[in-house]
Amino acid sequence: MSSGTLSGSIAADARRARWFVAVGRVVAGAALLVTVALLPWLSRTDPALTVLRARSADQDPTPARLAAVREQLGLDEGPFSHLAHWLGGLPRGDAGISWVSGEPVLPQVTAAFAVSFTLMLGALVVTIAVAVLVSARTLYLGSRQRLRRESAGTGAAVLAALPKFLLASLLATVFGVWLGWFPSSGWTGPGSMVLPALALGLSSGAMIGGLLGHALPAAFHEPWVRTWRLCGFSPGRIAWHALRRTVAGVLPQFLPTVVALVGGAVAVEKIFNIPGLGRLALDAALAQDLPPLQTATLLLVLLGTAAGLLIQALRRTLLGPALRDAALPALHPAALPRRRSTGWVAGLCAFALFALVIAGLLRDPLHVDTAARLLVPSAAHPLGTDALGRDLLARLGHGALRTAGVALAVTAVSAVVGLLLGMAGRASAGLTEVMSTLPAVLAGLLTTAVTGPSVWGAACAVCLVAWTPYAAQAAALLEEERATGYLLASISLGAGPIHLLRRHLLPAVLPAVLRNAVLRLPTTVLVLASLGFLGLGEQPPTPEWGRLLSENQPYVELAPWTVLGPAGALVLLAVLAVSGMGSGRSRL
Amino acid sequence: MRSVPRRIVVALALPMLLSGCFAPGDGGSNTDAQARSAGRLRVALAVPPVQALSPYSNDATVLSKLSVVEGLTALDADGAAVPALAKSWIRKNPTLWVFELRKATFQDGTEVTAESVVNALDHANAAKTKPRVLSDVTLTVKAEDSDTVMVSTKTADPVLPLRLASPALGILSVKAYASDGTVSPVGTGTGPFKITKLIGKTKAALDRFDGYWGGKAKASGIDVTWIADGTARANAMRAGEVDIAEWIPTAQANLLDKNTRREVPSVRTDSLILNTRSGIFTDESLRRAAREAVNGSALVGSIFGGYADPAQGLFGPAVSWAAHKRVEVTGRAVAATTAEVESKTNGRTLRLAAYTNRAELPEAATVVQQQLEKAGFTVQQDVREYTQMEPDLLAGKYDALVFSRVTLLDTGDAVAYLASDFMSNGVYNIAGLKDSSVDQAITSAAEEGDTAQRQQKIMQAEAEILRTDAIVPLVHEKVVQGVSSSVEGVLLDPRERSLINVGTQLK
Repeated sequence: MSSGTLSGSIAADARRARWFVAVGRVVAGAALLVTVALLPWLSRTDPALTVLRARSADQDPTPARLAAVREQLGLDEGPFSHLAHWLGGLPRGDAGISWVSGEPVLPQVTAAFAVSFTLMLGALVVTIAVAVLVSARTLYLGSRQRLRRESAGTGAAVLAALPKFLLASLLATVFGVWLGWFPSSGWTGPGSMVLPALALGLSSGAMIGGLLGHALPAAFHEPWVRTWRLCGFSPGRIAWHALRRTVAGVLPQFLPTVVALVGGAVAVEKIFNIPGLGRLALDAALAQDLPPLQTATLLLVLLGTAAGLLIQALRRTLLGPALRDAALPALHPAALPRRRSTGWVAGLCAFALFALVIAGLLRDPLHVDTAARLLVPSAAHPLGTDALGRDLLARLGHGALRTAGVALAVTAVSAVVGLLLGMAGRASAGLTEVMSTLPAVLAGLLTTAVTGPSVWGAACAVCLVAWTPYAAQAAALLEEERATGYLLASISLGAGPIHLLRRHLLPAVLPAVLRNAVLRLPTTVLVLASLGFLGLGEQPPTPEWGRLLSENQPYVELAPWTVLGPAGALVLLAVLAVSGMGSGRSRL
Repeated sequence: MRSVPRRIVVALALPMLLSGCFAPGDGGSNTDAQARSAGRLRVALAVPPVQALSPYSNDATVLSKLSVVEGLTALDADGAAVPALAKSWIRKNPTLWVFELRKATFQDGTEVTAESVVNALDHANAAKTKPRVLSDVTLTVKAEDSDTVMVSTKTADPVLPLRLASPALGILSVKAYASDGTVSPVGTGTGPFKITKLIGKTKAALDRFDGYWGGKAKASGIDVTWIADGTARANAMRAGEVDIAEWIPTAQANLLDKNTRREVPSVRTDSLILNTRSGIFTDESLRRAAREAVNGSALVGSIFGGYADPAQGLFGPAVSWAAHKRVEVTGRAVAATTAEVESKTNGRTLRLAAYTNRAELPEAATVVQQQLEKAGFTVQQDVREYTQMEPDLLAGKYDALVFSRVTLLDTGDAVAYLASDFMSNGVYNIAGLKDSSVDQAITSAAEEGDTAQRQQKIMQAEAEILRTDAIVPLVHEKVVQGVSSSVEGVLLDPRERSLINVGTQLK
């Protein structure tokens, strides 16, 4: 990749790369589909049994009945004949019939896809709005050359740490039940889209806004801004142009953050009773009902690829020929002093978390006292008790280390993997797109098949899908970096690949990837916990923050403190990470 | 350069225009008002249809809950068979029953005849996955004349009229049975409501069937929404989006307005099953120690929020005859003391399983864990989704399981449950119980034809089973149904088979 110094060879390179990407996409998609087709054979759980259960929960699993199911579905023919049969039907618009319901799969799956896709578009609107709000301050001050201090992004961190399912429960209760402004559930018209789109878009918007706010100061630091200002361009023009410059780097994040919601919004779909693709795929996966599962996976693969292409086209449009002709100015962060408050915030969060952990560790997190159920916070129980009368402070304190440890490890591994794959550039683009839309639950099911239920399995499953944002980000930033003029200068001065990597490429990518990882830390905690029902992760009653949130979710309204504690702790962790990173970096 | 934003806008807007899809067949926001004025009931059901309402699947209960389909017989509140499409029946000899049909019409306009009954029952008998209610019996059905049906069984079947009340054996018109083996109850039943539209797994519309033999239903129709999430169901009820919502989770029940909360004792019993086949609970004294340590009544006020009864045995208050026929349990093993438990388990951990499908079970498992640990056991939980752990359960890989089970299955007769769960050859024998006196007691109950005697023998079998300590009943669940105060005539059925019938209406 470092060889293309002449524009002719660049063009040849680009042609070759395009082929590379196309092949990568097909290989990645095909690999995923084959893996899904093998699920029942990998999982060592008899599909006849799971299908029978899905059809009739109280049915006795007699050998005769299982044999009947097996014969009816032709399970003895093995996975590959099934796959071939399914693929053979696709050109005719026939995606097979569901093993459970016996009905044609295609209408069901496309209907669910349409629902989820529409919801995703709603979430996209919310995401963009929130992202704009989050980065509005930086945009306003920057365009007027008044950006004196770096924003720590604590606001974005707080919003990004809010669990989607909790937000969904809250919105459904407040706006659906109490105020009655919107339907509390169902999918009957544009009105029923508002609440779920908000629940999904708020944290995504904060995440993207956080990244944008992180990249904008660098754009405002570029020489053209001063020139334009002196020439009398309005701040609006300057802001717009800076946005164009930075959005190109953030745009790929929409794929794993927003587009992935088509298949990955199971919790919100459940709470709002939306007949979406996430639930359909989950039900099919649990019942090992292959035809709908394969069809859903195929649609997600196609969606991921299409979205990837669209994003690529948008980036090209935004950056223009500069990207192609290696004439992009480098986008390097300004050395803005950190705000003094950032250090304070970090210190405060660290102190609060520390106090929480110490106080919690002195208490018993497992003691069940059914008489002390759902007690409000008091001197005896500073954060109240949960539905089994366990002390929430104790559970938070004992869970802190385990939660943060696993989440940090998973995030670190994902970020490194993402960075490496992102550097591989074109070859991994297809894989990134395909894996971006894969729901974590499906990854979890595939992992349990191999690792069995364990903490290790949960970490693996999350790593399997969590690297995509970093890979997409690294790839995009590297592409821009490679298109800078000074990189060419460096090369012509005889810089080797290692030097380029160390002095130019990594410094350009690392801070942004770090910021991304930090913003995603709370999500990682929640995704880890969301695999609990597959037996992945710590088994109850071991306290773990994600579990605390999900096991107390039914009590949101009855005893809000049961979720306020864990949610607050998660926010503290997120803010600490963001502000800690902010103040840490500015000292370098 | 100026065209850039426009291009982006177009690119973003295009898919949005292409896909403005919502659930097909929705009518927008004014349906609520229309439904009300037309006297239609809006119902939220919990379990979405899996096989397009085929009576041979789980969906059968929907058909009976909404009074779409009827069998030859029905069950009354005490679980006895009462006339439905058959107005009377007699047992000619131990294996032959004769049913006299009443005059009734199918929802597609055709008459209910002996031929159509034979056709319906033959299809059930020959179904690829045979309905559970026919798992231990083969029916031979013949038409004697146009309104007389003879049903014979290979071996004597004393509960045949109870069996025929099962929603899986509902009588549908000839039109319902397609050549590919699928069965559609849409417009083919005989009940007071007919299905007019089924939209995927989310909605169904039912209209009153004016030709019903039992008179016109008071409600003009039913709009069904399936809401799988319990909290969402409670929310829909509280927001006034539905008139009836079934199965409100105990965690949400107290949020419901007091006069919309109706509780019914359910035939569901939650218990702790101990694995007698392998692991630490092969030792009878350890089982006894576990039984004495575990106290289900601690769960009633807490986890179940009062919506349960402390366990009295396998059968709770919903089985009306159980309490006064209960047999004292004798001959139990002597419990191991805490010290003995520790020495006998010798460092082995007790693997306690629970599944997440019912929210209360994992919570119960945690309480049970603490109770067992007090008695000297070392406990490790394994909590997963049911289908993820079922093969392991059947293979006996756990020492104990917190289990929720319906004690009166399709037949409305308790023997089917006892036979599958506790007999040595039972297919759902998670406890791995092999006990000759238990087998004997269940077999003898199964053969008994006289109802009262049969019930007595069932209770004897219960005592035999409890003697082995293979199962420790914890609580008998109660079901909370959300019923708006503007609705009257909702059926509160412990067997969860009926909900709406002819008399249900909006005030």
